[in-house]
Amino acid sequence: MRGLGVQLVKPLKPLKPHAEIAEVWPRDGHVRLVGRIHGCPAEGDWRLLLTRRGHTARHLDYPTHVKGDRFESELPIADLVTSEPTGTTGTAEVEVEEWDIHLTDGRARLRAGRQLDDIHGKKKIMVFPEQRVRGLRVRPYYTVKDNLSLECRTERRTEWHTEAAI
Amino acid sequence: MTGQQTAGHRTRTPARPKVRYLLLHAYGRGGTIRTVMNQANSLVQAGWEVELVSALRRRDDLQFPLDPRVHVTTVVDLREDARTPAEGMTGRYREWRRARLTERPARHIPPGEFGYRYFNRYVERRLIAYLSSLRDGILVTTRPALNFLAAEHATGGVVRVAQEHMNHGTHKRDVQRRIRETYPRFDAVAVLTERDREEYEQLLPGARVARIPNAVHSLDQVPSDHRSKIAVAAGRLFPQKGFDLLIPAWARLVETYPDWQLRIYGSGEKRAELRALIEEHHLYNHVFLMGHTDRLDDELAKASFYVLSSRFEGLPMVMIEAMSHSLPVVAFDCPTGPSDVLTHGVDGLLVPPEDPDALADAMARLMDDRALRADMGVAAVLTAASYGPDAVHPRWEALFGELGTPDAPNDSCEPGEPGRSGGPGASPDLPEQRHRTADAAKGRHA
Repeated sequence: MRGLGVQLVKPLKPLKPHAEIAEVWPRDGHVRLVGRIHGCPAEGDWRLLLTRRGHTARHLDYPTHVKGDRFESELPIADLVTSEPTGTTGTAEVEVEEWDIHLTDGRARLRAGRQLDDIHGKKKIMVFPEQRVRGLRVRPYYTVKDNLSLECRTERRTEWHTEAAI
Repeated sequence: MTGQQTAGHRTRTPARPKVRYLLLHAYGRGGTIRTVMNQANSLVQAGWEVELVSALRRRDDLQFPLDPRVHVTTVVDLREDARTPAEGMTGRYREWRRARLTERPARHIPPGEFGYRYFNRYVERRLIAYLSSLRDGILVTTRPALNFLAAEHATGGVVRVAQEHMNHGTHKRDVQRRIRETYPRFDAVAVLTERDREEYEQLLPGARVARIPNAVHSLDQVPSDHRSKIAVAAGRLFPQKGFDLLIPAWARLVETYPDWQLRIYGSGEKRAELRALIEEHHLYNHVFLMGHTDRLDDELAKASFYVLSSRFEGLPMVMIEAMSHSLPVVAFDCPTGPSDVLTHGVDGLLVPPEDPDALADAMARLMDDRALRADMGVAAVLTAASYGPDAVHPRWEALFGELGTPDAPNDSCEPGEPGRSGGPGASPDLPEQRHRTADAAKGRHA
């Protein structure tokens, strides 16, 4: 890996097809994603798919613009506000739920993540700002496996309790 | 030249004085600690007896490689498990006294010393007792607080060398005053840059001021190929390093150069503020706070240029390390160091200090032109060569050899060292010999 530029660093084992994230833009009430479809043909009608972790039936999807292997898509964070109980115990002042991000063309389901560069430990290095909408705070983050997910914190009780719990 | 002199010197004077380095915290991670360990390693490999004395100890392990022949001791051990519970009346009295003294502020260290918060009456008294006990060899003190204590209390016969890693102008006024008062008592004051040598010589009439730069740990480095679109900066996340100026400078470039990344290595207390600045400028896809790395060499080799945004420096060693990887540098022309090392337009670009726009323009010049990066990179390697261990180490040996053997024939003349007017017995064309007894007397008068 010595002397190699960032684009040239090869992973140790061949990577599964995935949606390689280049940019994440949490701005103006939206999260916009830019990247490349890696490891499989990019033709077809792709959609951005959000699945709630632990609730496989619950998902959201959005149109995705693909040109060549480059994709671009965005979601309004207000869609993540949910009125149903999250399954966490009632004692928690702040309920946390996570959404995993994929790209799908109806057959393949590609996990979004950043696997092709040389930076290890993205969870702490590539950190994105939080946005708020109606008591919900949404922040994109890289998991320990460098996949991209959304963390949503719902403030269920008073502001005082919420602040104290964080 | 110096190497030959040193070799000659070595054969003629087999009994060399022991060299002791006094550091505030040998177990820390700062640039001073690193360079002192490089010095210690070089000396011990050349056959000198070297001891590293840590004023304080907060960690179990050293953070940089140190030759096992270098003896390490601690004056005040602050680790939790280092204290044995007090036994008996005397023990409890000692504990009580220690606690009392620990709460009292230092008396000999001016509050403007950047390390003031690490000192208290207890630490001070233990250091004074240690310094007063020294009778022989050479003592090298490595920051103003330790220099002040050594000037006043290491008066039992040890030859004293004060290392000064900072430009005089960057010290607070109370520190500047103590420097003028106490540094003339040293046998030699070692500074890092030519500008510092001139300034300290003017400030300390009669004192011997030697310029010896710090050495990089190695010159045998993997060169950058200048293809990647990565710029690197490194240092503690602290106002001195000026990353709060670098981030807005990058914000000016991000639209024109969207595929370039800035990677800032280091940890520190301003991390949250810098993160907020990155978010404010929407740079979270382009500017990364990388944290501390044990493999900075590998990271430098991957970059295309290095940025130094400091408000002030002593001699920026990571910048020189970057140059040894063939990286050109964009730097603020701050006091001191960048202009001592860099030649504008040859191995890097110097811009007016604390001017983010100028910094951005210079970075854009390098981003635009890979050939320019490569040409400047070659020049940077050549510049870094004069900061290699082989270039720097003989200068310390020459200085210590000369100071430690006052009666031996003097066969080394410090490069860049002004000849002092000949004292009794000194050859007219050689620097005056300093005698321990004379110095000890000076210490007592003070």
